[in-house]
Amino acid sequence: MTKPKVAIYDFTDCEGCEVKLVSLRERLLLLENKIDIVNWRLGQERFDAGPYDVTIIEGTPITDYEVDLLKDLRKNSKVLIALGACAALAGVPGIMPEKDRKFWYEKIYTAQYRPRGVDAVPLSAYVPIDFAIHGCPVDEDEVVKAMEELLSGKTPTYSGNSTCFDCKQAGNKCRIRDEEKPCLGPITQAGCKAICVTGGSPCYGCFGIRKEANISALIKKLKTITDEKTIERYLTMFHSRTKEVNDGKK
Amino acid sequence: MITNEFIAKIEGHGNLKIDWSKNSVNLGVHEGERLFEGILVGRSAEEAHWITPRICGVCPIAHNLASVRATEDAYGIKVNETTKLLRDLMVCGQMIQSHVLHLFFLVLPDYVGIDRGTELNQKDPKSFAKALALKKMGDEIAYTIAGRNVHPTTTTLGGFHKLPTKEDLKNLLAELEKNKETATWVPQLFSKFDYPDLKVELQLAALVGDSISVDSSTDKNQKREMFPAKDYKKNIEEELRDYSTAKFGKLKGREMLVGSLARLAIGGETEGYKLDFANPFHNNLAQAVEIFKYHKQAVEIVNKLLNMEMDASIASPTAVAEGGEYRGIGYVEAPRGGLYHEIHLDSSGTIVYANIITPTVQNLTSIEKSAQQMINNTMGMSQKDRERLLNMLVRAYDPCITCSVH
Repeated sequence: MTKPKVAIYDFTDCEGCEVKLVSLRERLLLLENKIDIVNWRLGQERFDAGPYDVTIIEGTPITDYEVDLLKDLRKNSKVLIALGACAALAGVPGIMPEKDRKFWYEKIYTAQYRPRGVDAVPLSAYVPIDFAIHGCPVDEDEVVKAMEELLSGKTPTYSGNSTCFDCKQAGNKCRIRDEEKPCLGPITQAGCKAICVTGGSPCYGCFGIRKEANISALIKKLKTITDEKTIERYLTMFHSRTKEVNDGKK
Repeated sequence: MITNEFIAKIEGHGNLKIDWSKNSVNLGVHEGERLFEGILVGRSAEEAHWITPRICGVCPIAHNLASVRATEDAYGIKVNETTKLLRDLMVCGQMIQSHVLHLFFLVLPDYVGIDRGTELNQKDPKSFAKALALKKMGDEIAYTIAGRNVHPTTTTLGGFHKLPTKEDLKNLLAELEKNKETATWVPQLFSKFDYPDLKVELQLAALVGDSISVDSSTDKNQKREMFPAKDYKKNIEEELRDYSTAKFGKLKGREMLVGSLARLAIGGETEGYKLDFANPFHNNLAQAVEIFKYHKQAVEIVNKLLNMEMDASIASPTAVAEGGEYRGIGYVEAPRGGLYHEIHLDSSGTIVYANIITPTVQNLTSIEKSAQQMINNTMGMSQKDRERLLNMLVRAYDPCITCSVH
């Protein structure tokens, strides 16, 4: 049987999710036995112009070049996977509103600077994607799980649990109930092992919004423990461009 | 069109634009602008060190610490000894993680005749197993102290949300001791490679304490210059190039080199290895030596922590706002060199200004100069061989294009 041809691409981003791929270590070798990585600029010179069975894209399409490439990759890929928050949600780069870009180009560069960036949006703003492996960064186990499901011919799925489920398993106190601190755990998909809350940091929902999440109910609850400005900061860390979140605020 | 126009095996999207008729070269940088210095404005003090690690997934700890220090400087927060040690240990982990990734997955293929780093597993499984063991060790330091291997979760202004337990530290010490021989082996391995010849006149710059120290790569008579790290903006100028989304840095108008090679030139301890500080290819040997050095330092710090009472207290602000603002500068030697974060906050703790100068910004002009030198030196060679050497040269610098654009 021929191995599926896999291409790994990075658009504008921190490349931390690709670092996570390397952090799979021995498991990356096992995965490599089952696939043929024909394109991976960060990892190899070998380059194959497609078509591909699976294309994994990390990062946000910010420049025109990236937007065009994304459309071509979609046409040339049977399955298109978003890897990490930048690809799946626009993530931290999505905090910058399109209308403010001009101001910041002038401020950070100069008025003479010729910008390449258009706007920081998720892949799904331009093309349909088949699955998103969420996280900022992604979790190694979630990558392996999604890849194994794909390789066995299934469409990967989410557990349906919220981050609260992971948090209980990790033995953490509840930020909202026990500590009266804001948290997006209740509306966020499980899979991260509640690693940020375990380390003492907030949950900003980088694992994506859980299906059937009651966003407006969470916002109502958060209003009883903090001010609106803080709630807005939480909701915009990774979800400035997430429609359900923007609708939930209304 | 699906094409491969960027240099493979470097962080981010860049390429050398060479005019072979004129033998001239530009280093093109094509990463999209995320505008982090704008993203930060309007966010809160506690969010800066959460947001800035997302500039770079290869050196997130460095951004996290530079950012924390900038805000602590603004607020007059003085951290305790435990915090200082834990942060130094995070830096050790960061250096090992980044250098191992770069040396074994991006550089080594150039010298042993493979393409993807994992192919070493067929060619030399013993060496590859060692590389993976070191990768694991670097990640373990980060997990134990920073909470995660990529993007820290435990750090906060004034200290840590959560300290490792003594049990955690004992496990980490066991992991470090298990890899002692392997850490010693890395520079031995990288000292055997036949690095291409190149001699470039550059200003080698590294942070020593609170000063930036500068030596010439070629002129032994040039007196070492030193200036306060807080004057970073006065001394490191950034220029725009129409072929780059990153700015190009210069040190008082001259091309500079930062990172492992500069650190060893300035620090002087090369652990008995002979390094040519005028040859940027030797940056890779310097990185290998640093894996050994930071491993040793990590062991020392963990032992110190195990033998002391750890202080979990979080230091409080002492500064008074000047003219309604708090202003601070934070810096750290990141894997690729000096990293500077500056932050201004209003009286309510909202960020009103941010400035970041990354190591790769400082190296871009030097990469271009070295590439030009390489072109001048290789006139008799085939274009293909020259292109291969030039790509190797760019890789030797370990540029982080992602950081440079931010």
